[in-house]
Amino acid sequence: MDKEQVRDALRRIVGKDNVLWKDVDVVVYSYDAGLAKGRADLVAFVENSDQVAQIVSLLYREGIRYVARGAGTNLTGGTVLMDGGVVIEFSRMNHILEIDIENERVVVEPGIYNLAVQNALAEKGYYYAPDPASQKACSMGGNFGENAGGPHCLKYGVTSNHVLGAEIVLPNGQKTWIGGKALDPPGPDLMGLLVGSEGTLGIVTKIVCRIMRSPERVITMLAIFNSVEAAGQTVSDIIAEGIIPATLEIMDNVVIRAVEDSMHAGFPLDAEAVLLIELDGLTNGMDEQAKRITEVCEKDGATSYRLAKDANERNSLWAGRRGAFGAVARVRPAYLVCDATVPRTQLPKALSEVKRISKKYRLPIGNVFHAGDGNLHPLIMFDDRDADELARVHKAGNEIMKVCANLGGTISGEHGIGSQKLSGMSLVFKKGDIGMMRGIKEAMDPKGLCNPGKVIPKEEARP
Amino acid sequence: MSKPTTDNGAPLRTLKSIGVAAKHVERPKKEREAQQILARAGREKLTVLPVGGATTIAAGTLPERVDIVLDMTGMAGVAAFDMSNLNMTVLSGTTLDGINEFLAGQGKGFFFPLDPPFSDRATIGGVYASNGSGPSRLRYGTMRDQSLGVRGIDAGGGEVGFGGKTVKNVSGYDLTKFLIGSAGSLCLITAINLRVYPLPGASSVCEVTFQKLEEVEKFLQALRSSVLIPSGVVVEPGKGGFRILAAFEGHPLAVERENKDLLAMAGNLGGKGEAKMGRDVMRHEVKGAIEADGDAMAIKVTVPISEGPRALAKLADLAGGAKTVLFAGNGVLLVYGADERIIEGAKALASHGYVVPLRLHRSLLSKWGPRVDATLEQFVLRPIKEKLDPASVFPPIL
Repeated sequence: MDKEQVRDALRRIVGKDNVLWKDVDVVVYSYDAGLAKGRADLVAFVENSDQVAQIVSLLYREGIRYVARGAGTNLTGGTVLMDGGVVIEFSRMNHILEIDIENERVVVEPGIYNLAVQNALAEKGYYYAPDPASQKACSMGGNFGENAGGPHCLKYGVTSNHVLGAEIVLPNGQKTWIGGKALDPPGPDLMGLLVGSEGTLGIVTKIVCRIMRSPERVITMLAIFNSVEAAGQTVSDIIAEGIIPATLEIMDNVVIRAVEDSMHAGFPLDAEAVLLIELDGLTNGMDEQAKRITEVCEKDGATSYRLAKDANERNSLWAGRRGAFGAVARVRPAYLVCDATVPRTQLPKALSEVKRISKKYRLPIGNVFHAGDGNLHPLIMFDDRDADELARVHKAGNEIMKVCANLGGTISGEHGIGSQKLSGMSLVFKKGDIGMMRGIKEAMDPKGLCNPGKVIPKEEARP
Repeated sequence: MSKPTTDNGAPLRTLKSIGVAAKHVERPKKEREAQQILARAGREKLTVLPVGGATTIAAGTLPERVDIVLDMTGMAGVAAFDMSNLNMTVLSGTTLDGINEFLAGQGKGFFFPLDPPFSDRATIGGVYASNGSGPSRLRYGTMRDQSLGVRGIDAGGGEVGFGGKTVKNVSGYDLTKFLIGSAGSLCLITAINLRVYPLPGASSVCEVTFQKLEEVEKFLQALRSSVLIPSGVVVEPGKGGFRILAAFEGHPLAVERENKDLLAMAGNLGGKGEAKMGRDVMRHEVKGAIEADGDAMAIKVTVPISEGPRALAKLADLAGGAKTVLFAGNGVLLVYGADERIIEGAKALASHGYVVPLRLHRSLLSKWGPRVDATLEQFVLRPIKEKLDPASVFPPIL
């Protein structure tokens, strides 16, 4: 089939007005929130899982590459077709299909935004734990594909800990279910494999998630530090006290300034770092835990700390934290978010290394990250019109990955590998490990059409 | 640290008792030894069945004949413990009790929260391979939530490893999770990185009884919609009613409040009971409620949460006097003394859930029928098995 024939076949499935094919229309699907640039030949807007199955069957038969795309907030090029193909666009499959309070489940379509789900659940006194900072704009299908995290994942886990079932269209177009409202489907944990597989093993069309009762009480605290390393040390020391808060988030001065310039969230401009701490749960015992935390902060050199006095102050602090990535656009026109993770106790060392790398490559780097999980997010800021600077950005990003892998961590905590981090896979996996992953990909997607060129590097890893 | 005692005849006798003929037992003590055994099995086209404490031996597909039983209880012990980062690496033949004995003695005291039955014999590798769990999954989840990484040996005898020691990790496919429940059909697991937790300031167990099923349903519904956070809730039918155990852990003030609120909630709905303080008491009571004769045939049944109490009552009827128990809040039930009639009854009951054999004679397993969806079997599981274990060294996949 040539491009026009494929376009006409897609139109027969989704309707004439639901296929984009002109270059001027498809160009915006050739990139996502990462740095990768590729090419989309056709874009099909789907409205139900039958259409998805028909499209995938067609593309499988014709040997055409494809990718499922939600909101395109992916930071590693995961939703970009590098060598052309069809984008299956999910923004119209954006409904909550069922909120089942009795069984503590919500069933959603993949195109719905994370925050829309949270808002619907909040009205009923429930919530869905994974809360990526981009929750205003990221889709649940994308969260599924990337195994998304978020600040509250420190205590409650990431997407794979909360997805219990899914309707899936396999790479050959067959539609089936994995899991559901009941727990423990027999056999290997296919859901655990599919969540985080970046849409390379199939396309999710319905998702069954666990929901949780909203906590009785929440305390939000802000501790101010003279160094980001001291804030990092405090994170380890709080957990060593036997306290596991709902969140432990750090922002450094570069990011604090950008956030305050952008939205006046209430962070002190003279702080080298702030630690945003949140406790949730039963009221009883919470004040005592908050007191112990303030003692740890004092011991580790916090210059001051305060408790959010009401919901407005809490919301303002969180708006600042969640808006940090967007705010750094005030510093430089583009940024690369590194997403490496280290054991918590290695945070001070990792942060020192990030400073060194910033100086070495002459690039401003801000830090805003999920400190409780050891999940760094150094933001390397640059001007993407400057080829020399862009080259240094890639070198700096690779060096940060290497540093974190050497500290006992890994190259991606929640943003995935996509096409941008393929070279880093050999830092954490041996040839046999990647061989087993490749075996699974080849078994499930024998023609290699389903989001090709992602997650698994072509070249062999270290022996 | 305690290790299970074993002799080479024990795994053979266990397998014989469930209708599996095995020729030979190997008990590797080191990864290298296990690698050599698997490499030889590949060369000589031998079949290998990894076995731990054999408490959930029927969770996978049991072959009729096995050339080599790989007794993993020889690979036991803690390889690493990182107190500050709350993780540990344990060899797969380590028992759950062994892990918790070790952790209790470290620093201020730590624990690993999963509590499937027979924790004195159940090995961490077996719990991982069979996706085993206990009532505490209500708060702590399952191996999917507690495993950070695994090391293993592939069908060709090669060393493999996935995941790591960080809680967040999306580097590559998450084979740490995928291999959970695979019952040794794809890879031999030799070591697992686990999350661990500081021992809580207080623990308790509340025991309440109700006479009627409707009261149990109302009570569990009220508990679910409350702000209380139990670690686990167990329901078992008893003489003239139902006994419920609710375990709490946390700050002493929170546990005190939870005990008080739960007993008040039960009282308002026609139940009565008492709270007992202390971690040992809590663990002992819960363990006693979920265990029966370890040699009994057993199945796991899962249903949507709200269907749990009715499923319990029906299964208890079917099972006669045999032990039946519900992990409330999860919709997971265990039935001991399972026979063909009970299995068929359970399958009819779990139309929105699953029935999984735990310990069952092969004659019953062979009549079971398909255990996974035909599309998944044809286009996912079988192709993966053929890719990863082309010589069928490991047991068949479901």
